[in-house]
Amino acid sequence: MSAATAGTLSPKLERYRELFEKRFASDALIEHRRDAFNQFIQAGFPTPRDEAWKYTNLRRLESRDFAVAESAPVGIDPGQHPWISCTANRLVFINGHWSPALSSMMPQPPGATVLSLGEWLKHEPERAQAYLSNSPSAQTVFERLNAAFAEDGVVIDLAADAMFDEPVHVVHLWTAGLQSSMSHPRIIVRAGRNSRLTLIEQYLGLGDSALGCSEVFTNSVVGVELQNGAQMEHYRLQQEGSRTFHIGQISVRAQEHARYAIHDLAFGGLLSRLNLTIQLQGSGSHAELKGLFTPDNSQHIDTQTRIEHIAPHTTSEEDYRGIAEGRGRGVFNGKVFVHQGAQKTDARQSSRNLLLSPTAEIDTKPELEIYANDVKCSHGATTGQLDTTALFYLRSRGISENDARTMLIQAFAQSIVSSIRSPEVRGYVETLLKGRFSLRQVNP
Amino acid sequence: MLSISNLHVRAGDRQILNGLSLEVGAGEVHAIMGPNGSGKSTLAQVLAGREGYEVTEGSVSYRGKDLLALPPEERAREGVFLAFQYPVEIPGVNNVYLLKAGLNAVRKHRGEPEVDAFEFLALIREKMKLMQMDESFLSRGVNEGFSGGEKKRNEILQMSVLEPSLAMLDETDSGLDIDALRVVADGVNSLRNPERAIVLVTHYQRLLDYIEPDRVHVLSGGRILKSGDKSLALELEKRGYDWVKQEAAAA
Repeated sequence: MSAATAGTLSPKLERYRELFEKRFASDALIEHRRDAFNQFIQAGFPTPRDEAWKYTNLRRLESRDFAVAESAPVGIDPGQHPWISCTANRLVFINGHWSPALSSMMPQPPGATVLSLGEWLKHEPERAQAYLSNSPSAQTVFERLNAAFAEDGVVIDLAADAMFDEPVHVVHLWTAGLQSSMSHPRIIVRAGRNSRLTLIEQYLGLGDSALGCSEVFTNSVVGVELQNGAQMEHYRLQQEGSRTFHIGQISVRAQEHARYAIHDLAFGGLLSRLNLTIQLQGSGSHAELKGLFTPDNSQHIDTQTRIEHIAPHTTSEEDYRGIAEGRGRGVFNGKVFVHQGAQKTDARQSSRNLLLSPTAEIDTKPELEIYANDVKCSHGATTGQLDTTALFYLRSRGISENDARTMLIQAFAQSIVSSIRSPEVRGYVETLLKGRFSLRQVNP
Repeated sequence: MLSISNLHVRAGDRQILNGLSLEVGAGEVHAIMGPNGSGKSTLAQVLAGREGYEVTEGSVSYRGKDLLALPPEERAREGVFLAFQYPVEIPGVNNVYLLKAGLNAVRKHRGEPEVDAFEFLALIREKMKLMQMDESFLSRGVNEGFSGGEKKRNEILQMSVLEPSLAMLDETDSGLDIDALRVVADGVNSLRNPERAIVLVTHYQRLLDYIEPDRVHVLSGGRILKSGDKSLALELEKRGYDWVKQEAAAA
């Protein structure tokens, strides 16, 4: 582990060390941060030699010099901004820092707490850290980097039977005209017995034009603990700017009869990667994953899911779809891992992909690893182009080629979109996709 | 209305149509019959504008226009309709949405105003009744999970909404039981009028018991070997196609 000694660090990692020392030397939690930071330094950035990073090369990310992001004033009216504007519980983060002015919270229902992690760390660092330390420890390089640099985020704590009537909407917004910056937001969810929650996690960039948009790096970590019978509906919308590196980690632990459902919608970023790990630890727990990713131009969108069936009678259902255009590149790796004791597991997985140009690429890899003998597991993966017969059928009814293509692309995405239960989110995503796939001449 | 002259068509290196000529006038119903592989479906597909066929010789004129020069959607807007032999299932595209988009594209082309949602729903309910289609049709994807008979009825429903000038039905009778056949035939007959031409491509004479043709043609080896009135269909039913081929070879 010679890399751990300061003298032999690569210049890039040395740069991270300088940033770290400068930022956190007098931080109340410096020891906790330093542990995580040293682990990050020891491991360094993954390379394509790591199986899990085979298709996603981080050379570009590694070569950049990012400053720690600072908040910036923004003159926007949340009501006017094309987010899911009608959410009542909204926490807005500007360049990773909580903005009370843009946020809005309804009175919190009994037993339910939502707060800014940054505020908590400022006012009660020890308690906040104790709470953080109680979460599963960081496993991956980027989680460690996050643990070292995290300054803000959201803590959602639900007592037994507590529930929010309205979704909790967390918006991460990059402002335009920044110097190259990085942010390491955290979201922590603790859902007590039979509690209920809908979380919307949204990542956006303002002023995404060639001039206004800066190179930025988002490294987010979301940890979810669901006690017996807890239910969570999670929507993740990654719509960052075309010069954004986005790395996300979601770790979920579900106890008996807990239910976790996620819609993972990845539309933005230059290079984007999500690791989604779900541990079904209690019997009868259930996970439902729906995903849609749409790499275009030279975008690279990588999704890695890992569902671990640990307890018996656990179920999972996974449906991911990718639509790649231009020179867009998509990666989907879906692993289902059935532990020895997890009898009566029922796991279904499907990955379907659509290539709209000859230079687009999607690599999909379903993986099943099963150590129990009484289980039902299925998976399927397809990658293809628009169905020419269907295209002809629509055109023969008077519909223009461009409209017919749009209809078929939207139809392909529809099975993911129509399963969005929140009407606000569904309407918003439908509009988004309509804008994305219509009014343009798509040439194969 | 439709004038096909000396049409030669190839798919890949296979010659399918070999100098086919046919005249169809407004108000007429023509039946094109012939053995498997004679080129019947290719003819229908080429007229509707399907890609993948190469016209090496000949021409098709439709209401004075060069039909083959138009993309499929332009043909549809000009009033050409093909009822598919194998209607395509398109999950995620709603039946009603497709029909409304199609109808409005046709109306726009004719310089007519688009129909509003309310008018359209009234229209489609009326046509659904005629085709004895279930209410659930309205909320389903295009042909999604439809039985063979439902798919064929949906084709005729689309035709009756789009009100084409030239309707071609490609083996619409295949796979239908006798009740469904009657519904489909009623739908087609209700569209018969002096301004509209109908071309039935069929393998069996059965459909012609319900939709009486003005002219019957025998297509074999990529050209029309014999034409006649409806009695020709009955004769084919009795004697098969070989005698027509022999007659043509002798000529």
